Amino acid sequence: MKKMKTWKQRQNRSGYLFMLPWIIGFAVFTAFPFIATIALSFTNVNSTILGFEITWAGIENYITAFFKNVEFVPALGGYLKMVIPYTFVIVVVSFIIAYILEHIVKLKGFFRTIYFLPVIIMSGPVMAKLLDTKVSDMQLFAGQSYSDIFIIQMIASYSRKAAVLMTDIFEQLSTILWFTGIPIVLFINGLQKINPSLYEAAKIDSANSWQILWKITLPIIRPIALVITIFTIAQLGMYDINPVYSLIVTYMGNTSGGLGFAATYAWVYTLIVLLLMGAAFLIFKERKSKVKHY
Amino acid sequence: MKKMHLTKKKVSEKTMRFIFYFILVCVSFVFLEPIFRIISKTFMTSEDIIDPMVDWVPRSLSLNNLKVAVKVLKLSETLKNSILFSGVLAIAQTFCAALTGFALSRFNFTGKKFWFVMILLCFVVPTSVLMVPRLMMFVTAQEKIGYTLIGTPIPQVLMALLGQGVNSTILILIFQNFFNLIPKSLDEAAMIDGAGSFRVFWHIGMRLSFSTVLVVFLFAFVWNWNETYVTGTLLRSGLQLLPSKLSLFDSEFESVVSSSGSAFKLNEAYKMAATFISIAPLLLLYTFVQKKFIEGIENTGITGE
Repeated sequence: MKKMKTWKQRQNRSGYLFMLPWIIGFAVFTAFPFIATIALSFTNVNSTILGFEITWAGIENYITAFFKNVEFVPALGGYLKMVIPYTFVIVVVSFIIAYILEHIVKLKGFFRTIYFLPVIIMSGPVMAKLLDTKVSDMQLFAGQSYSDIFIIQMIASYSRKAAVLMTDIFEQLSTILWFTGIPIVLFINGLQKINPSLYEAAKIDSANSWQILWKITLPIIRPIALVITIFTIAQLGMYDINPVYSLIVTYMGNTSGGLGFAATYAWVYTLIVLLLMGAAFLIFKERKSKVKHY
Repeated sequence: MKKMHLTKKKVSEKTMRFIFYFILVCVSFVFLEPIFRIISKTFMTSEDIIDPMVDWVPRSLSLNNLKVAVKVLKLSETLKNSILFSGVLAIAQTFCAALTGFALSRFNFTGKKFWFVMILLCFVVPTSVLMVPRLMMFVTAQEKIGYTLIGTPIPQVLMALLGQGVNSTILILIFQNFFNLIPKSLDEAAMIDGAGSFRVFWHIGMRLSFSTVLVVFLFAFVWNWNETYVTGTLLRSGLQLLPSKLSLFDSEFESVVSSSGSAFKLNEAYKMAATFISIAPLLLLYTFVQKKFIEGIENTGITGE
């Protein structure tokens, strides 16, 4: 006679049965490769006819990456210079758009459809072609430059770097905005979930909409902003606008000895991405109230 | 006095609304500008392209660019390949995402929280950190079993089937949230009637979730279509796909033109025509099912329920 199983045992069995494909895939194609990359970053990999020849190299790869190689450190710097302002702009702009969309009645769906469109068509080659034509357009129509705008020049007289950063953002505005598709939908979704009676209570206490935005909407939306920031950082890394990414791709293509090096690059890069996400987490974390209790 | 106050409020509301719509229209233009540019350049003649007087509207419509781009992209072949390739991967991903989402939504197994966190972490880890060992694994495996894997879709199908395709995490979350909406009493009723968990999954979960399956499939299809990094590493040129053909367009153009002996020169118009062709299928898809896509993202529930 079959032994009866308890409810918990049955739940466990069914749960793991359904999870099994994913768990196998996770172990083989994600967890193992992740650890293997860390190990490989300390080795030289040569592909030979007999298979891969892995030799221990110690921290040599890291020394080469940081001190001998001239491309890696600038690429990392370029990545940081791209990802921090871009993420900031994407999160802020997508919040503003979502906030406006929440406050209009007509054509809401129409605008949402437009803003979501890039999510569907955005791919590496398409982006590359667009950036490519942008450069040639600028050569053709010389003279139209954002750096000539009066306000930008005013900023430039205070700090050149800030002005360069701002022109850069304006020139890439379409590209940057193309990353806001999913964040906008998520922000709208979050805004809709805020209890309307909170707004009513604030209005009765004679708060204006500016105060309501800062005192009610933003604090409630903070966890969603965190999710969106992390999402954006993850998305931004996957395109050619990320110099580290193209560097890693180049080294991956070089199978005769480039793989160990690619592993080093990829690992350092991942570490930085995870650190950035950790920083985002700290920024958006619930702050302990500073009111002292006596 | 009261009336004046009211009208004043009305006016400010009107200006506010005007400002809102104005901003939205401006932003829409910035969003669509690249697409408009692609379309306008697609139909320009080569004279229009270099003429600084012609900015948006071409002087005469020309279909020549499209014809050349179709030829260089080998459209009939690449389009079929791309649809098949993305379709197969999307089905595999949808299947695994449904199973995983069902497990997370329906069963209370030990370590559920842990696996959930792992699923989320999968999204955060950059793919480039995983690709070196993945590539080495497949190369070693193909030597061990003596069957070519690199250059075939097999590695990616395998990864998709085991839930490690593009953005699998989002697909799982969509399914999990949908299954959460189905009342558990339905499962219990079926269980009492003697259905096993697979029958519950098939007859209750999947039967009720046709539209969710469609959404997940469409997302997976589009993402696999646009994905070029993993494909470039594992499939390489084993299958001629539309997006990868687009990224090689410049060099392909030269070779096709020089072989036919004509004097075409590569210009923006050809490139944009090729870009237009490669996004056209997706644009077409989007015009029909755009609501589904947006709903899909709303239903991931990452905004907290």
